[in-house]
Formats: sequence, structure tokens, C-alpha cells
Amino acid sequence: MNLEDELRTALRRKEPSPEFTERVLARVGSVPARRAPRPWVRWVAAMAASVLLAAGAIEYRQYRGEHARSQVLLALRIAGGKLNKAQKKVQMLNAAHRNNS
Amino acid sequence: MKTAGFLLAFAMFAGLAAGQQVKWNYDKLAERASDSVDVNLDGSLLRLAAKFLSNDDPDQAKARKLVEGLKGIYVKTFEFKNPGEYSPADVEAFRAQLHSPDWQRIVGVHSKEEGEDVDVYIKSEAKGIGGLAIIAAEPKELTLVNIVGPIDLDSLSELGGHFNIPEIDVEKKKK
Repeated sequence: MNLEDELRTALRRKEPSPEFTERVLARVGSVPARRAPRPWVRWVAAMAASVLLAAGAIEYRQYRGEHARSQVLLALRIAGGKLNKAQKKVQMLNAAHRNNS
Repeated sequence: MKTAGFLLAFAMFAGLAAGQQVKWNYDKLAERASDSVDVNLDGSLLRLAAKFLSNDDPDQAKARKLVEGLKGIYVKTFEFKNPGEYSPADVEAFRAQLHSPDWQRIVGVHSKEEGEDVDVYIKSEAKGIGGLAIIAAEPKELTLVNIVGPIDLDSLSELGGHFNIPEIDVEKKKK
């Protein structure tokens, strides 16, 4: 038997047994129908998701604000420090200049 | 079409002219620095930060007052392991960007003995002071500060002491 014959045999149409349809329909009837979720469950889920999102957004804003605040204070400390340094040097030199003259 | 192009160009020019940050290029220095501090706060972040600055703390209250009118604060500090890891030419390149009629150097301290230079510039605008820039060079540290926005002298003095400092150049005085 060559390959072609083997395939033809293997793929030959077979009629189902007479009780096949009945068996299938009986099984279908025995599976309980999935109940649709009640509307309030969806609302609660949506509200919980909204609350979580809002809480996350508030938390993120808090984090960003506190980080920005510390950055501002750092920047002003650096800038103020450099200005004070320049100011002190100028005052020191002015004093030295006055003493010399 | 021409009108639209003109309006766009005008808007861009107006944007550049109205209190923009100084575009210093620090890439070369960043490669050589052992440590660095980088603060980039644009207007929206400053407004957010202002809301988080407490009025109960005197320092934070001062900072809040100062920050409220500003459009940006940009600070860059580079620390180097050894002196001489950046050149005077590097510093001069930063100063060169402030050589324009808008910017005026109000303090220039150059100490050869300590190897420290501090230059303070203000940006003049029609309404007053529109910005501040500081270039502070020490043997192992270089700091660049750019504050964008209207700074009144009271706020400025709160930031760094009274600021009625005459322009003086130590090197010139020594000669």
C-alpha cells in the first residue's frame, strides 16, 4: 500500500453512530448555564478600580511634590551658598582695601 | 502660509526672549566629574513644590515666596577627584553664553590664591531682573546656577544675603 492509499484510508469519511447526536444533546443539557454577573458587582468593581486609580494618582502627586520641594531647597541652598561666598569675599576685600588705604 | 510661518517664527523668538533657561552644555564635564548634583525644576514643578513648602518653617516660607514668581531653577554641580580636571576654557565657554546685552555681570570674584572664581550675572528685562546666573569654579568643584524669572531684590537678598555688592575683580585689585 502506497502513501496515497494509506491517506485515503485514514481520511475516509465515517458516519457517526445513530446515538451520537442524542449523547451530545444530552451532555449539552446537563452543563449548567453560566450566570451573568449581577449589575451591582460591575459597579463595585468599577468603583474599586476608580478609588485605586485616584489613590495612586494622589500618592504619585505627593511623591512628586515632596521631591520637588527637596530639590528646590537643595537648589536654593547651593545658589545661596555661592552668593554668600561671593559676598563675603567682596566684603573681605573691601575691608582689606580700606585698611591698606 | 507666509503669515503662519512669520507668526510661528515670532512666537519662537518671543519664547526665546522671554526668560528662557541658559543652555549650557555640560556633557564633557559630566564625563570627567566624579560626582554631580543636577537640579532641573521648570515652572510647573516649581508651582507644585511651592504647594509643599511649609509656611510654618521660616526657611521654607522664604523659599516659597521666592519660588512663586519663578519660571525655572537649574543647578548643576560637578565634583572632581583632582584639581585641574576641568580647564579655564571650559569655564570660559559657560561665561561666553552670558556675553550678551541681556546679561550683566554684577559680581566677579577671582581669587588666584584660593583658585576660586565666582561670577554672578543678572538678566535685565523691561520689567526688572528677569533671571540670575552664577558660575562658581573651585579647584575640585564647578557649580552652575540658572534661575529663570523675575527676581526682586528682596527675594534675592533672602536667597543669599544683601546684594548691594559693588562689582570687583580681585585679580585686577592685586595688580
